[in-house]
Amino acid sequence: MKFRAKIVDAACLNHFTRVSNMIAKLAKTCTLRISPDKLNFILSDKLASGGVSMWCELEQENFFSEFQMEGISAANNEIYLELTSENLSRALKTAQNARALKIKLTNKHYPCLTVSIELLSVSSSSRIVTHDIPVKVIPRRLWKDLQEPTVPDSDVSIYLPVLKTMKSVVEKMKNISNHLIIEANLNGELNLKIETELVCVTTHFKDLGNPPLASENASQARNPEQMAEVHIDIRKLLQFLAGQQANPTKAVCNIVNNKIVHFDLLHEDVSLQYFIPALS
Amino acid sequence: MKHEVRRRLLYGGPHRPFYAVKRNSSLGKRRRRGGVKSRSFEKRGQHPGTRGRQAEARFATRLVRAPAMLKCGMGGSQVKVFGKAIQALSRVSDELWLDPSEKGLALRSVNSCRSAYGCVLFSPVFFQQYQWSTSVKMNDNDTISNLNCKLGMKSILPIFKCLNSLERNVESCKIFTRSDKCKVVIQFFCRHGIKRTHNVCFQESQPLQVIFEKSTCSNTLMIQPRVLAEAIVLFTSSQEEVTLAVTPFNVCIKSSNEESMDLTSSVHSEMFVGPDEFDFFQIGVDTEITFCFKELKGMLIFSEATHAPISIHFDFPGKPMALSIDDMLLEANFILATLADEPSRASSPQSLCLSQKRKRSDLIRSNSKAGKNVTSKALEHISRKAAPKRLCPNETLTDISALENCGSPPLKRVSGDVGEVPASSVRRAEEVLASPCLRKFSCMFFGAVSSDQHFSHPFDSLATASDSEEDVNYGSFSTF
Repeated sequence: MKFRAKIVDAACLNHFTRVSNMIAKLAKTCTLRISPDKLNFILSDKLASGGVSMWCELEQENFFSEFQMEGISAANNEIYLELTSENLSRALKTAQNARALKIKLTNKHYPCLTVSIELLSVSSSSRIVTHDIPVKVIPRRLWKDLQEPTVPDSDVSIYLPVLKTMKSVVEKMKNISNHLIIEANLNGELNLKIETELVCVTTHFKDLGNPPLASENASQARNPEQMAEVHIDIRKLLQFLAGQQANPTKAVCNIVNNKIVHFDLLHEDVSLQYFIPALS
Repeated sequence: MKHEVRRRLLYGGPHRPFYAVKRNSSLGKRRRRGGVKSRSFEKRGQHPGTRGRQAEARFATRLVRAPAMLKCGMGGSQVKVFGKAIQALSRVSDELWLDPSEKGLALRSVNSCRSAYGCVLFSPVFFQQYQWSTSVKMNDNDTISNLNCKLGMKSILPIFKCLNSLERNVESCKIFTRSDKCKVVIQFFCRHGIKRTHNVCFQESQPLQVIFEKSTCSNTLMIQPRVLAEAIVLFTSSQEEVTLAVTPFNVCIKSSNEESMDLTSSVHSEMFVGPDEFDFFQIGVDTEITFCFKELKGMLIFSEATHAPISIHFDFPGKPMALSIDDMLLEANFILATLADEPSRASSPQSLCLSQKRKRSDLIRSNSKAGKNVTSKALEHISRKAAPKRLCPNETLTDISALENCGSPPLKRVSGDVGEVPASSVRRAEEVLASPCLRKFSCMFFGAVSSDQHFSHPFDSLATASDSEEDVNYGSFSTF
């Protein structure tokens, strides 16, 4: 197993740092899947995360000037590593004004992802910073749990409002109750509802727009006013929203009535999918 | 007695009692530490007119004293530097000593495990106004004692909390002591005519100072604080210890991992810095020293305020290292213990320490015979076992009690009274401590601050009965 990659472009480096910061906010421990053309950050540990799963994908060409990898075998040319996401984001934080960044898989007593940063310094000599991030190699037999989740056939698909607004609303609602109802319809309306014995709070977002539906039959059958709703744990939604620092290029919310809510975001060229199941 | 009183009446005209001025009856309640005796005034709270003077006259032959005092003033921009010094010292420990002398005002702090010591000395030039005095007691024995002022960091740190707003609003600051009430008064004269006064109670306690010769260290580095600050970013706040590894070609700052820690969960970071990034680079011996991260951060906080380069003086692992800043207006020194991972190496500095201690105790004994009251010079040597996970073990006390269990008396600080540490017991303590399977921290040389100027170079006057050649090097110490 081998992995070596290098970033020399400052913009790519900053983008990669932002991605790792986002991942660090979304999942404490995640799986990094390395394949010849993509990097994926995967969270699929249903039990530990309470059913939440995450799939983040980025094309390696958009970031790395050099990229070499050799998977477990020729047939299975992939590497799955488990790491603490905060370690990676903190290591990248020191690469603010780096001349170059190298990541490679090493084995120093235990497997590590070594991030080596060449910093520009005032004097002629450059400073080299190395971080050895301990990782765990995930064996082949567990790979099946870490595949790309299938996007469910959603009842309603709607574009999300400005995430910052949504986050501040949800933050305030968290103080009232842990149980949030998210509902939307094909008329561009999205509601966030909190219901307790004493009080009901609903925030209405209008004129959001709906992405074009895949099949014609579904659009005809469904009443555009009818809401599809899911009852979710508000903290999970808040964690998702807290991870988004910049407004995404595209943000779609897919709701399967009483089953699952699926967020599909695109940050420039990095796609993020986040699944929150309904409360049982 | 009566004659005295009459004389006083005539001087300055007929007697007019000053009723407006109420003499504080609590003056009599002065603490008795450090051998300083107090005056007892009439407790009626009257101004000592004839009555008071009579009482005073009664004791005139015994007690005429002026209390030790400090009075200084500084401008708005100096307040920030002063506040930063306090913040940096707060990283060392929870107690702060204010120690004025002719060299300036020293702020000292020692942590409870005696593995870190910080001292910031502000020269008189730093202040707009600087006055200090020792307490002079005309007695059978002349005693000169300093203002022994120990403040709780919890009391003084909040006063200098928001330094940026202080810098903007404060025009000048006055600090003075009121020995009668054991209080330090800090007054901020702010804009718009606002005056803020803080009264902080202090305890009378003799400060410790470390005896450490920077120039004998074989490795010296001088670096701009910015570079070190960039290195600090590498490490998480949970990182307790940091290792500095030097060779003549480069310097490496890296995270230090204890063996007992879970290696598979923590990130190991290192940063290599080339020699040309240092203002001064002198490496005599390749070495790797490990020290506490917290105090390094404390020093960096302070260096941000002064913009002066930081000098690092160190030797082999086990010997304390010094971080210092030398400016025209101030001098800051942080002496940190370093981890000694080889017991054999650690024992040699210990033995040096102890032989000094023996000499010191000899000196004390001989002086007491001579009738001089050596109130404040003493050496304290504590060598500790490092607990596996932390730089500072939970309590130094456990080590001392361990020593007690082993039958040797604990090494104690010599305070106002003359103490004697028998040489034989000290040696026994050394043997107990040098057990091979423990990683030890090097000892710190300590001496109580002395106002007695006769003893500036005590070791020079001793007849050398040294055990090892290295003792000669420690002939003249610079005290911080």
